[in-house]
Amino acid sequence: MTDTVAQGVTITKTGETGAFGGELLTVNFGPHHPSTHGVLRLIVDLDGEQVKRLKPVIGYLHTGIEKQMEALRWQQGVTVTDRHDYLSPPINNLAYALAVERLMGVEVPPRANALRVIMSELTRLSSHLVWMGTSGLELGAMSMLMYCFRERDTILDMNEEISGFRMHTSYIRPGGVTADATPRFLDMLDDFTHKMPGNIDEYEALLTHNPIWRQRTIGIGRLSAEDAKVLGATGPMLRGSGVAWDLRRAMPYSGYEDYDFEIATSDLCDCYGRYLVRIKEMREAVKILRQALDRLPDGPVNVDDRKMLPPPREELETSMEAVIHHFKLFTEGYSVPPGDVYVAVESGRGENGCYIVSDGTHKPRRVKFRSASFVNLQALEQMALNHMVADMIAIIGTADTVLGDCDR
Amino acid sequence: MIPEALVLAKGVSAGDDWVTVEARNVHDALAGLKDDGYRLLTFLTCVDHLADSSAQWPARYEVVYQLRNLETRGQIRVRAFIGGEPPHIDSVSDLFPPANWEERETYDMFGVVFDNHPDLTRILMPDDWVGYPLRRDYPVGGEPVEFSEEHERWQTAPDKA
Repeated sequence: MTDTVAQGVTITKTGETGAFGGELLTVNFGPHHPSTHGVLRLIVDLDGEQVKRLKPVIGYLHTGIEKQMEALRWQQGVTVTDRHDYLSPPINNLAYALAVERLMGVEVPPRANALRVIMSELTRLSSHLVWMGTSGLELGAMSMLMYCFRERDTILDMNEEISGFRMHTSYIRPGGVTADATPRFLDMLDDFTHKMPGNIDEYEALLTHNPIWRQRTIGIGRLSAEDAKVLGATGPMLRGSGVAWDLRRAMPYSGYEDYDFEIATSDLCDCYGRYLVRIKEMREAVKILRQALDRLPDGPVNVDDRKMLPPPREELETSMEAVIHHFKLFTEGYSVPPGDVYVAVESGRGENGCYIVSDGTHKPRRVKFRSASFVNLQALEQMALNHMVADMIAIIGTADTVLGDCDR
Repeated sequence: MIPEALVLAKGVSAGDDWVTVEARNVHDALAGLKDDGYRLLTFLTCVDHLADSSAQWPARYEVVYQLRNLETRGQIRVRAFIGGEPPHIDSVSDLFPPANWEERETYDMFGVVFDNHPDLTRILMPDDWVGYPLRRDYPVGGEPVEFSEEHERWQTAPDKA
């Protein structure tokens, strides 16, 4: 057992003999490797350049989010949910808000539902754009990052317009949304839905028939439909293996049943299939945005319940009752009836759910986030076995894990 | 389905179906549900009901399994209550591969020992961590913050300080 350390990579000889007569080596990747999408560490046994065993080591981005939630009041917890899957904050907000609302038996008004769908789809787009930009960068299509971040910036501008924040919006909260859409936001969205299909054509022109991209992804990281189901994979990982399972269709929430969209699937079961699924999902997201914008209902964006959401500012000057409600909400918060509930929503990565246990007080007893990245990452070994080290990078890329989501 | 003899209680919470089983029967109950088509373990976790004497939660630790049937879209939550120190329960990672990491996380955060688990080690916290962070008697902010000017103090192990 001799260790060689070169350029930060530790290599240990295992003493086992490989298929080509050489010795298997244990090589450590990461955690601070630029291609690991965060801080993922991999311990890989290599026979020559072939991956024979792979063990992901996680926890480097563990921030104790579930513990923090127990110390925060129900309405304060929203700001923490933004931060686990940092590429799709509004979708995390939505899972938490839906769970709290179901325990309280609250239905939000139609305009709030439409705005929630709009923000979810914008988030899905921006999450897929980051995925495509960084994956392109890793696999030799460097200009992808510039193109993708151009549109992502437009989406962040829209986030800023509607909520005041570019990334951690905390826009969706139990009982509705923080603020109504401004006319400027609706103009920006209208403009965006007209331009985006052309932009997706641009990405496809750069990648879909790009020989380097196809060679790096076709036939790489195969995951059969049966394996994907057994390993619990969700999202584009499952749909890229030909299983048409999408929570927006299978268990609709926030009015997704009223939108006309197709579930993107691919029977290729490889990295290229997962890429095609995400491209299709982006096109479908634009379709949903267009429909939501065209029939955006009028009306309030929050439930009319003073025990749950604070009164409007102008009432505070004239109504004693409003002052009392305001004071109670910001000192004690509201209580949620005892019980537990699990709500799952479809994020860009798969099923992001929220399991809440309430003991009837103003703080949750337990909040568990079911993150798609955590479960999907377990399929990594299955996909990467007997592939080259360079292909492993393509596989990590198309699995699209966000390590903040994985470690919570 | 779960054999009726194994079911201690069942009900609906905010629209979600749940059943409670004895901790020693969890593996049998989940195997029965898997044969019945509930092949996806959505998540597995634990809830710490410290110092709660209500009949709803009869023991300190509640291990929760959420299962889904991809064909019928049905969902069911299986729960088992365990006490003791450390609490023990059978692993289901042989039935549901995703349970492997979920059980490691539950062990890491709550100290629940999953018997027959292939590799029950910490997953999120460092291997030499002391204590189980998501237990309710584990304080928030109880960790000392390490400043460079105190480096002599935090380099000494607490029991030798």
